[in-house]
Amino acid sequence: MRGWDAIAVLLMGIVLATPLAAQGPRIEPPAGGIFGPLPGSGQPADPSMPPSVPNRFETPELIVDLSRPRLSITSAFQGESILLFGMFDPPGEIVVVVIGPPARETVLRKQRVLGLWLNTGRQAFDDVPAYYSIAASQPLQRLLARSAGGEILSLEDRLQSVQSVGQREHEDLTRFRLGLVEVKRREGLYPAAIGQVTIQANRLFRVELPFPSRLPEGTYEVRTYLLREGRIVAAVSRPLPVGKVGFSAQLAGWADNDGPLYGLGAIFMALLVGWAGGAVMRRI
Amino acid sequence: MEIYLPIAEQSMNVFILLGLGGAAGLLSGMFGVGGGFLATPLLIFVGIPPAVAVASQANQVVSNSISSLQVHWRRGNVDLRMGLVLLLGGMIGSSAGVSLFTYLKNIGQIDFVIAVLYVVMLSTIGVLMLFESARTYIRRRRNPEAPRGKLHTHYLVHRLPLKLRFYKSKLYISALLPIGIGFAIGVLSAILGVGGGFVLVPAMIYILGMPTAVVIGTSNFQILFVAANVTFLQAATNNTVDVVLALLLILGGVVGAPIGSRLAAKLPGVVLRGLMSVLILVVAVELLTELLRTPSSLYSLGTRQVLP
Repeated sequence: MRGWDAIAVLLMGIVLATPLAAQGPRIEPPAGGIFGPLPGSGQPADPSMPPSVPNRFETPELIVDLSRPRLSITSAFQGESILLFGMFDPPGEIVVVVIGPPARETVLRKQRVLGLWLNTGRQAFDDVPAYYSIAASQPLQRLLARSAGGEILSLEDRLQSVQSVGQREHEDLTRFRLGLVEVKRREGLYPAAIGQVTIQANRLFRVELPFPSRLPEGTYEVRTYLLREGRIVAAVSRPLPVGKVGFSAQLAGWADNDGPLYGLGAIFMALLVGWAGGAVMRRI
Repeated sequence: MEIYLPIAEQSMNVFILLGLGGAAGLLSGMFGVGGGFLATPLLIFVGIPPAVAVASQANQVVSNSISSLQVHWRRGNVDLRMGLVLLLGGMIGSSAGVSLFTYLKNIGQIDFVIAVLYVVMLSTIGVLMLFESARTYIRRRRNPEAPRGKLHTHYLVHRLPLKLRFYKSKLYISALLPIGIGFAIGVLSAILGVGGGFVLVPAMIYILGMPTAVVIGTSNFQILFVAANVTFLQAATNNTVDVVLALLLILGGVVGAPIGSRLAAKLPGVVLRGLMSVLILVVAVELLTELLRTPSSLYSLGTRQVLP
């Protein structure tokens, strides 16, 4: 059972380490080109500066927090909502984009063959976000009227960039891409509606971010943008780790890392319960 | 009350799963067969991914067969030699079956194959059972003391080479025959998550010609090891065994089985078999409609692969 212990220790390490990471600096370092030079920011914001002190530079203040630092998939997990809230220097509008970890997804298409429906077509896409939702304080079209496009992407635009694996004609590829959205939407992973960010007192904002019960694990990214006249003037990115914890995490980790041992454990459990249960029930 | 199933990666009502296990246990108590052939389709109906349903059901079969083997072993109703020969075929068959399962899963056809095999198997068994029980019922009403047929007949299969003597079964037949049967049951077990008792038992009686007394115990012996092999290989290669799901099914089954055997003692066998065959046919028809009906969505997703 040494493997089991190692996994438990590893998981504990992850559990202990992640909240610290999640509560890191208010303004995350620029992530590659995506969070490149923000318009109007001469210098990067100093993380040590207390939030109440107005920034001497032109970058307006944008503070964001989540009601919980991580999403824990426990034995009782049935999907969950997380509250994102924060404060900004008025004026402005807020847009929140939540992006799940990317992975290769294979879309299967059914066709009728001899009266029976079976999967005949398949198309793989790389770099498909596991989850994608957008929330905004005003209809997006109006907010993005000018030049914030390219940074804040609607789901359709985001999926235009996913790489298809292999060759297929464009029209058919589009159908598969729409199929992908259809399935993800059904599972609640690509909410169709734009979430509503509510602004109070002209500088406080909040929004509920919904997550369904069948949620892929990984580190999600919660990006919050402050827009003025359709231009992004400040942005904050927060990681949101999503993972199984407790008993279900241990089991899944065990099954993942040491399948044969897990299989033996499953057999042993069945033998034990079957033997004991049978013996007990015969006596009643 | 919902519980999260860590391998199926979804939450499911605890009582539905306990109930399913209980129903399977009830059937196994009544008829001495595993009940997996009804539990797996029902698990698929309630939304468990077919691959997980099959593999976890195999895990449940392990528990179910140790329970009944306990009794039959004590009564001396196990033909160990026959069991081992069957098992030889069963191990090869189930290992081949899991490889086939993995291949079908990778090309995205496993759900379809599982559904088609279940439709074929359940409708065949359902129709045969229905006819058999109707015939018995009619014959008994006409002539309550009808003579029973011959124990077994000798035909082509008794001329195969590699003959072995099975003392407990009072048989002198080719080992190739039980190996072949064991192989077929092994493949079935791996792909459908069933013990295969409902195919194995008639095969042992009608094809091998074994005495009824040792059939159930011996089939349980072979099923126990084949199901354990399937569980192990599915866990090691496909990661589809959900122990939480399996445990709930097992617990339900542990309670259901004795109730089933008590019910079986009270109700006449013909009526029981008639009811069971109707139940089997209902599930088969439901599965077939699923295959024939235009799906609400043509698209589905295969396994998600996180890139390194």
